[in-house]
Amino acid sequence: MSVSAQPGLDWHGEDVTIAEVLSALNKLRRTFAHSEADDRDHPHPRDCVMTLVSVAPNSVEETRAILASTAIATHHPSLSIVVRDQPHVRAGRIDASVMAHPVDSKLNTPVPCELIVLRVQGAAGSHLAELVDPLLVSGVPTYLWWLGTPAFGRGELMDALRIADALVIDSSRFDRPYQSFLALADLALHSHKKLGLADFQWQRLSPWRETAAQFFSPQERRSLMKGIGEVGIDYVGDGRGNRIAAALLIGWLASALDWKLLRAAAGGGGVVSAIFQSDGWRPIQVAFRSVARSHLTEGEVSALHINGSTGGKSFSLSIQRDPQRARRTGETEFRRLHPTGGEDDAAMEIAQRKAAQHREVLVQNRDSLHHTATGEPPGESLPRHPVVMARERRRADTADVLLTMIDIGDAETLRHVQRVPAEDEATMLLNLLSMGAHDSVYTRSLSAAAELMRSL
Amino acid sequence: MVIFGATGDLSSKKLLPAIYNLAKQRLLPAGFAVVGAAIDDLSDDAFRKRAAEVISEHSRTQPVDQTVLSSFLQAVFYLKVDFGKADDFKSLQKKLDELDRSRHTAGNRVYYCATPPPTYETITEQLKAASMTNGSGFHRIVVEKPFGSDLKSARELNKIVQKVFHEDSVYRIDHYLGKETVQNILAFRFANSIFEPIWNSNLIDSVQITAAEEIGVELRGAYYDRAGALRDIVQNHALQLLALVAMEPPIAFDANSVRDEKVKVLRAIRPIEDGDVAHSTVRGQYTKGWVLGEKVGGYRDEKNVASGSLTETFAALRLFVDSWRWAGVPFYIRAGKRLPKRATELRIQFKRPPHLTFGRDAAQELDPNAITLRIQPEEGISLRFGAKVPSAGVKLRSVTMDFEYATSFLVETPEAYERLLLDCMIGDPTLFIRADVVEASWALIDPIEAAWRDGRPPLQMYEAGTWGPASAAKLLEADGREWHRP
Repeated sequence: MSVSAQPGLDWHGEDVTIAEVLSALNKLRRTFAHSEADDRDHPHPRDCVMTLVSVAPNSVEETRAILASTAIATHHPSLSIVVRDQPHVRAGRIDASVMAHPVDSKLNTPVPCELIVLRVQGAAGSHLAELVDPLLVSGVPTYLWWLGTPAFGRGELMDALRIADALVIDSSRFDRPYQSFLALADLALHSHKKLGLADFQWQRLSPWRETAAQFFSPQERRSLMKGIGEVGIDYVGDGRGNRIAAALLIGWLASALDWKLLRAAAGGGGVVSAIFQSDGWRPIQVAFRSVARSHLTEGEVSALHINGSTGGKSFSLSIQRDPQRARRTGETEFRRLHPTGGEDDAAMEIAQRKAAQHREVLVQNRDSLHHTATGEPPGESLPRHPVVMARERRRADTADVLLTMIDIGDAETLRHVQRVPAEDEATMLLNLLSMGAHDSVYTRSLSAAAELMRSL
Repeated sequence: MVIFGATGDLSSKKLLPAIYNLAKQRLLPAGFAVVGAAIDDLSDDAFRKRAAEVISEHSRTQPVDQTVLSSFLQAVFYLKVDFGKADDFKSLQKKLDELDRSRHTAGNRVYYCATPPPTYETITEQLKAASMTNGSGFHRIVVEKPFGSDLKSARELNKIVQKVFHEDSVYRIDHYLGKETVQNILAFRFANSIFEPIWNSNLIDSVQITAAEEIGVELRGAYYDRAGALRDIVQNHALQLLALVAMEPPIAFDANSVRDEKVKVLRAIRPIEDGDVAHSTVRGQYTKGWVLGEKVGGYRDEKNVASGSLTETFAALRLFVDSWRWAGVPFYIRAGKRLPKRATELRIQFKRPPHLTFGRDAAQELDPNAITLRIQPEEGISLRFGAKVPSAGVKLRSVTMDFEYATSFLVETPEAYERLLLDCMIGDPTLFIRADVVEASWALIDPIEAAWRDGRPPLQMYEAGTWGPASAAKLLEADGREWHRP
């Protein structure tokens, strides 16, 4: 082992043991406490609200985790452990750095920001619980933020979950969205009873959920909920792509309004059509499809349309993201390869037409199950043209604009534009954690979305 | 102070560094001298050289103060002593007499047995035969745990020692009791008016005691394979902690008042009947696994451990204290080796409020109130209570208020041995174990040991680096509870 002391309250060690890391952390804590107090005063008690363990598969994710953890620590004293896991390196060793810096919290007392970075090579990385357990702060929640795609179905994830109160993921970043999403839903069902789940994707859907919920919120519109007949969602992507956000949004509606899934089918262009049934036996047609939006990240929802009628009065709610910007977008290579038929305004019509075709196909081929012939998963089809997906798909967020259009009966169309400020990753993470990772609405929506995905 | 077994591990790692630190704090009496006594053939100078090395390596205060050290070493002497030879004890007596004259120690003697228990009988008898237990000054003997291996052997051991020394002069040392945080349990309970009124079965749901070690048996394989976790940790450390947390307020903070109350608690613990052992206890043994990021072997692969050993390296118990204060409150104890981390703590879990005004959804992340007394490491106390999450409607979460010794006082916490050695020198046995306390502890352990020898419950294997066998979690799950993660 070689150890070098750096200026300030930093420690760095190569080929170290966790016991040495723990010892270094304790020394830095003592030094911090003593440096804070003068001769007459006692040091302030060390405070800590959580332990955030981030698992990063590569250096890019490691940097993301460090940035987000440090940003959180400026407001919330916490211990952050970033584990850069390199199990494929045969020679096992742990390089570690520990930082315990006071950060300006704009409060009277400096907030200690404790950050441990463990670069783990070899098999030790597959035993995350045993690796980080000795470092955890007792009595405060431990959140496990798995950057990229969690190791679903593998022992290392289950091992790591033993020490976690909640798993934080970003389902928009899953490498194999279909399989990973279903695995996530399975995990929610079968993990230990106290495990919470927090999904950045769910946080990004907040403006959509809030806007839709606000539409039905006035007393006089409550009855419209029972009259919903059609729901359409456009999501950004190519072919089936990552439709987790769309599925979660449908799952949220279905679980909240107690809709039962009757049948569903999927086809080319990422089109999904499904029929749900409300508790009043009313059928609800649901369709979603992929559209090209070069300024948005794959999988993001770009439009939500809800149509229906009740008491002889029809209504329509349309929420679109960045409609102006979308129109300015020129013809792209992607669009030429994968024509999707138009802008958001026309999207519903096409989606509904395709959905109708696929319902017919579903009924005609109910027994033949074309996927058994193609070998593809049920309801899935590959893009017709090979496309190389960029792994780093998410760009820096900018402010979003949501245009909401409301038509009820013969009344004039109500238009409402809202600016949704973009949130950086640290803020979103903080929002997820501060609200508690045990969001029953999310798990309920996840379950309903998974049911839909499985039926495809 | 005479240290029998002065060249051994305990003396090197704990006793000599502790005495040096007492010297550094100027807490040793004037003229104090240490005489090392062991089978090795060493001169005074050779022993001093060795002492300087081990003190430099193991002292809690670093770097070692060379001025204090060289002054201290002048008071260190050595004599080769074969415990079976009466002549060696006569030589020792002669040496001590010389020191009395040269250093004016007035005949005061502390005999520290840093040796295995089977030697206690020989040492005490030789001391008596050499007339080293009477005369002017005090004559005290310090013996290390284990105090016997069952009730019968503990009684025999007590009889042997008490044949030579009066019980008031016998200092049975359990170093856990010398830890500041253990002593602080009494301060926390009896020096604050807000805790004692709630310290009973009206508000307390359960108590958990965890004594976890991340290490394996290391060089103690031969001893540990005979003892196991129940005898090595539960019988002494864990039951002592239980007694401190459950005892009634003593009328004074003196040796007999405190120990009287402790023994009352131990006697009030409901013995686990033979038929209950299978579902009130868990025993486990570690297999290979990962601890602190390193791959480790199983217990049966350890040095000096039998290849088919059935010795438990993990023990968990559910106990009840049958008293007005604790009626119906379970005390869960778990102790083990090769667990994820070193942690000793007491957790006082309070009952949930009788009615949750805010609804179940709001309180989804709200745990019951709890007080955690952390004995080691990160010695301190935490209080857990519910608070409203800001700007989130009505949503409640548990938050923690922490007190830590290391950062709350600008002084280093002394080693347990420093406190205990000093107490012995000044004649305060409060933190030492009395004979009746030892016997009361063994009376609880013996029926469990007997059932375990019959294979009830069966030995469960657990992977090193985990919190023991699955049946340990089930022990609490059966009561609708779960272990707290230290």
